[in-house]
Amino acid sequence: METRILQLIAALRASGVRVSLAESAEAFTAVDLMGIQHRNHFRLSLRTTLIKDVKDLPIFDKLFPLFFGSGQPPQMGGNPTDDMTPEEAQMFADALRQFAESLRQRMERLMNGEQLSREELEALGNMVGLNQTDDLRHQEWLAQRMMRALAFPEVREALRELMEQLQQMGMSRERLEQVRQQIAQNMAGIEQQIKQYAGERIAENLSEQPPGENADNLMNRPFHALSDADKKILQREVKRLAAALKTRIALRQKRAKSGQLDPKATIRANLKHHGVPMEIHYRNKIRKPRIVVICDVSTSMRFCSELMLSFLFALQGQVSKTHAFAFIDHLEYISEDFSGSNADEAIGSVLWRMPSGHYNTDLGWSLNNFNDDYMSTLNGQTTLLLVGDGRNNYNDPRLDIFSTMSRRASRTIWLNPEPAYLWHGDSDMPKYAPLCNNVLKVSNLRELTEAVDSLLST
Amino acid sequence: MNNPFESTGRVKASLSEQKYIASDEISTIVYLSQKLGKPLLTEGPAGVGKTELAKAIAGATGRELIRLQCYEGLDESKALYEWEYSKQLLYTQLLRDKLNDTLGKAESLAEAADKLAGEEDVFFSNRFLLQRPLLKAILCDEPTVLLIDEIDRADAEFEAFLLEVLSDFQVSVPELGTLTAKHRPFVVLTSNNTRELSEALKRRCLYLFIDYPSIQEELAVVRLKVPELNPKLAQQAVEFVQKLRNADMRKSPSISETLDWANALVALNAKSLDKATLEDTLSVLVKHEADLQKAKRQLIAPPPSRGKTDDFGRFSGN
Repeated sequence: METRILQLIAALRASGVRVSLAESAEAFTAVDLMGIQHRNHFRLSLRTTLIKDVKDLPIFDKLFPLFFGSGQPPQMGGNPTDDMTPEEAQMFADALRQFAESLRQRMERLMNGEQLSREELEALGNMVGLNQTDDLRHQEWLAQRMMRALAFPEVREALRELMEQLQQMGMSRERLEQVRQQIAQNMAGIEQQIKQYAGERIAENLSEQPPGENADNLMNRPFHALSDADKKILQREVKRLAAALKTRIALRQKRAKSGQLDPKATIRANLKHHGVPMEIHYRNKIRKPRIVVICDVSTSMRFCSELMLSFLFALQGQVSKTHAFAFIDHLEYISEDFSGSNADEAIGSVLWRMPSGHYNTDLGWSLNNFNDDYMSTLNGQTTLLLVGDGRNNYNDPRLDIFSTMSRRASRTIWLNPEPAYLWHGDSDMPKYAPLCNNVLKVSNLRELTEAVDSLLST
Repeated sequence: MNNPFESTGRVKASLSEQKYIASDEISTIVYLSQKLGKPLLTEGPAGVGKTELAKAIAGATGRELIRLQCYEGLDESKALYEWEYSKQLLYTQLLRDKLNDTLGKAESLAEAADKLAGEEDVFFSNRFLLQRPLLKAILCDEPTVLLIDEIDRADAEFEAFLLEVLSDFQVSVPELGTLTAKHRPFVVLTSNNTRELSEALKRRCLYLFIDYPSIQEELAVVRLKVPELNPKLAQQAVEFVQKLRNADMRKSPSISETLDWANALVALNAKSLDKATLEDTLSVLVKHEADLQKAKRQLIAPPPSRGKTDDFGRFSGN
């Protein structure tokens, strides 16, 4: 039982739930206390000690039955020949005999309502490569493959024939219907058994998987060297970082005691000292920057922009106004997509609307769009933020517009994944760079976090 | 004392005596939390009875409920303790004569200062200590239930401070020394999940997520709290509320709003949920103008299905 619980915890961790050592120890204490006779109590004591976030509850609910069974064995219909008259049973046997040997064996087992043995399941699993899978989303598909390996479709077909044959041989309609139902139930039972087994195996593989690469390492990995799985981890990491950053910024604002004297609060606080100002209160120094961000979402830059956008919108409380634009060959206003709460969906919808073409990035034209429609978003309080590699496919960089923009904004910051020595070829970076207050190299998550932090702190 | 929380069944029964209907999940986790001596962190949408749970626990165990309502800017002096300066000042004024007597006999300034220092304890004693909820829960002679309400509204700074208190239930007051709890209070924290709580805090708590109740559960709550409402009407009302929750609202009606509504229906002596009654009382349930319009459109007078005519209209022009 203990190893089973440990496996469950490992599988939870592998699925991205943060379970600390203290929490797993706590889970054991809770289980000791509640006992394991009562299944629901057992489940609840694990859940309340291991899961501390609503978002993780579904993961637990999915994994738990895979490690501790679904409670009851699948319902089998029983053997239809049990309550047949001898003539009917004879009829049945005759009909069966007309099938090929291998198929008949399968059918007979189905008739008898036998479940698959552990060995059979294992053999089946090996056949379809179950032991190489550690993704629960493949459960359904692998179960399908196992059933195909059991020749389920053929058996189903054969059953239909069998029924027809029995009908021709003169079996009564009700009896036939009853037999059909029982067999169907038996098949469903085996199907369920296979599905459960597939899930269990995958979950076990999941728990044996070495703990995924440390998020810290990923933070230093350049964006272009990330696999899809890494990206998912990073997305989660971004959310966590954004939350941490948010509290840090809030604290910094709170502790920034260099602001103006707040006479009202000071008098109020010092009433208890006979009006002798012993505690000095300052006005809250709130700096809520307005940000206009223009993101390159072409293939080369997509991931960096994506993370940047999720960052900005996770920080919404700290930023009073954000206007976000995305461009590839033209500019689009995307802030509206983010008015909902879910940044993931919003980014998805933006990327769906702006599919990337082949070498069609055109910053110059996009700046022209900006000039026509959105120049008014820039004023003396705005920080202009560009996320892109400045590779313009030899289009006109429109430096005139860019210099107007950077003059209007209070600060212009460019985040570029490429270091300065790579700025050649179709890169217009050397031309844009002098017009920016700051060009930051952002090629991994750590640098991105630092960039966002400095953006909001000064 | 007879412990009303000795098994999950007893927890459930004694909570329901307090007119709180606890699901198996709630009663099991409350039981565990009490057994393990761990704080209980409850999360869930507003108005599903998180605070009510703490009150029910206090009622069931016969303990005093000490409530700390969190808000932005809450700090130690409001949560833990504060010296009562004005009272101290008042006392020095009133005791001036006595002080003069004591200090007057002193030969030198140094001696007077020494004597004053000897009396210092008078002014920094429990007498002038203003106990705020946390210290009150720690110093109370009887075991208490400490409810820390809406912890997500407090700052991260305060959360970190709370961690220290919750882990060993002792605080140090520089003038008095370390004060340790005589009884560990039963701590319930609630959060509306408006911000992510720190990992460290979550790690120290048991987690209970309370969601909107099912039809049966909510009906049971309505029957228990508003017994005057006729059963058939109660059924209809709860079904209507559940329908509202499924519709995409800016703010879904909570259980407490269902109860308000049930009370309103009783007060208006409503016989059935007809259109007029609904329109009159809907504002008890739905608090956003946009939601109100939506509910009226969708649930009270559903638009006639126009699928056919629409298609017809679209194609007739061609």
